[in-house]
Amino acid sequence: MAYVALSEAEKTYILHGVEDDFRCDGRSRRDYRPMDLETGLVSNASGSARLRLANTDILVGVKTEIDVPNPLTPEFGKLEFFVDCSANATPEFEGRGGSDLAQELILSLQNAYESPLAFDYRTLCLIPGQQCWKLYIDILILECGGNLHDAVSLAAKAALFNTKLPRVTATMLDAGITDLIISDNPYDCTRISIETVPLLVTVCKVGDYCLVDPSAEEEVCSTVSVVVSVSMRDGQAFLSGTHLTGGGAMHRDTMRNCLELGLAIGEHLDRLLTKMLNLEQERVGPKRPQTIGFLK
Amino acid sequence: MLTVNQTKNALLDGASIEEEPYTSPQDSDEFFESLDKPAKEPTKLEPRNTFIRAGVLTTVRGSAYMEYGNTKVLAIVAPPKELLRASARRMNMGVLNCYVNFAAFASGDLDSVTERERHLSGMLTKAMEPVVCRTEFLNFQLDIRVLILDDDGCLLSTAINCCGVALVECGISTYDLVTASTACIYRDHVFLNPSAKIEELARKHRRGSNAVQEHGLIITASMDTFEQIALCKQYGYLSIVTYIKLLDYTLAVNKSLRQLVRGVLTKRVKEQHELDLREKAESALEDQRLEEIIEKLKKQGPEEFIQSNIREDPYVKRQ
Repeated sequence: MAYVALSEAEKTYILHGVEDDFRCDGRSRRDYRPMDLETGLVSNASGSARLRLANTDILVGVKTEIDVPNPLTPEFGKLEFFVDCSANATPEFEGRGGSDLAQELILSLQNAYESPLAFDYRTLCLIPGQQCWKLYIDILILECGGNLHDAVSLAAKAALFNTKLPRVTATMLDAGITDLIISDNPYDCTRISIETVPLLVTVCKVGDYCLVDPSAEEEVCSTVSVVVSVSMRDGQAFLSGTHLTGGGAMHRDTMRNCLELGLAIGEHLDRLLTKMLNLEQERVGPKRPQTIGFLK
Repeated sequence: MLTVNQTKNALLDGASIEEEPYTSPQDSDEFFESLDKPAKEPTKLEPRNTFIRAGVLTTVRGSAYMEYGNTKVLAIVAPPKELLRASARRMNMGVLNCYVNFAAFASGDLDSVTERERHLSGMLTKAMEPVVCRTEFLNFQLDIRVLILDDDGCLLSTAINCCGVALVECGISTYDLVTASTACIYRDHVFLNPSAKIEELARKHRRGSNAVQEHGLIITASMDTFEQIALCKQYGYLSIVTYIKLLDYTLAVNKSLRQLVRGVLTKRVKEQHELDLREKAESALEDQRLEEIIEKLKKQGPEEFIQSNIREDPYVKRQ
């Protein structure tokens, strides 16, 4: 994570705040910082989202491509993540400085989306065994203000919600070769279901307490954190890939508490995100041109 | 297309060389059917047959070799060396770097090797960071290298175990002994210490039917004196109840592995002590011999001494 210089006194101040359940910015241990979310702002991408979580700024674009499915999974599409840590975020990211962090984020996302129960890869299938969609999820970190895992996963989920796959019709040619025809109408498209798409929740251990959504300063004070990947299915929260980071160790019971906290928060976050995304879609509306008469 | 089937090699103790675990979508189902499945709740929480030896190499300070079933791993720890470029964030802690490499013959699937190596290196670094007292070597970096000779599942956990032993052998101070193990669940069957094929199955769950079935893999590294978990990596899709269940299984396996590691290390220390004693005895003998020579010298004077020590070469015949 980005480096913030803190003195011993500042650390103690943060630690005491966490103990009293009253953090530096007035939040309790279970609160998130305010979030701004906007979708569909990159016109060149099939889907996009920008998330600003206090000082953390993330831009996600989803590109689509037609690919051949893996022979082992003929009816599954493909996902590929790419994270770019912009040098604007912190001077440390200059050159190859951000590559370690980017690598970690990519791995956590890949791991969270790996299970077909977490992301329904069947929706990306065009012709089983022959053609499928491949989605490139490009994540750009514009500013780094702590809690990157959560912000990145939220933005990725929002971008997937916003993604519009053009409708494809297949025609059978001779010798079993199929030809794909992509719809010319940009409004004729299919959407991806994001119901079970996982969110990452970082539960950070500061002192003896666990908290969510750590700011960059709190991250410096923490010894260890658990990245919990929460996927909602039939109203039940599942873990789809969790790991410990931060160079510390924790007790089994602490681990259990962290997971439970992460799941509860993740469930809540997921509900809110879906609600807000639907609200935005309703308000902005599907900008479909009104067709009058029989001329399309 | 010509596909090479896996070959059984008697020399390799029944281990198999394979390109990819599965070649067609039906393979995984067939493999699972052919498997003799363990009970839903494992009764014996034990590690596989294990062989650990510390100090196998003389070229480096700390080395260890471990066989965990058919998985074979060699770990090397060199003493810390000074950081070339120190940055502000590394001020209060030493830096730990782990490098994992597959031996050229360890895996048939050469395309994904670099990615797996990078992934494993990252995870191993994460697992070892809480174990090593990093405050003791500020502005120094400690390199741990792992060579994988054979992969039959539980790769990361075996590498962690092996590194733990190598660290102690090298004399790096650690907070505790670290042991690790793997458990996975697939179609309600719990597999402890799964083989590579089962691992793949539980992780990917490729032939997912529509019914929700938990599947997943957990790798846990723990330090048992204070019951601390140094690494807990989960793949797949699990509910929290199952997660905790698997976690407890791995912790139990870790405990019994710990006894083993401890035994190996104490044996190694004793062995080293004996070696030291023998060396001491030998050097004492040498000292005594030298002393005798000096005595002789003093008595006889150099000329005579040299004359008395000249012997005829038995291979040169006298003329």
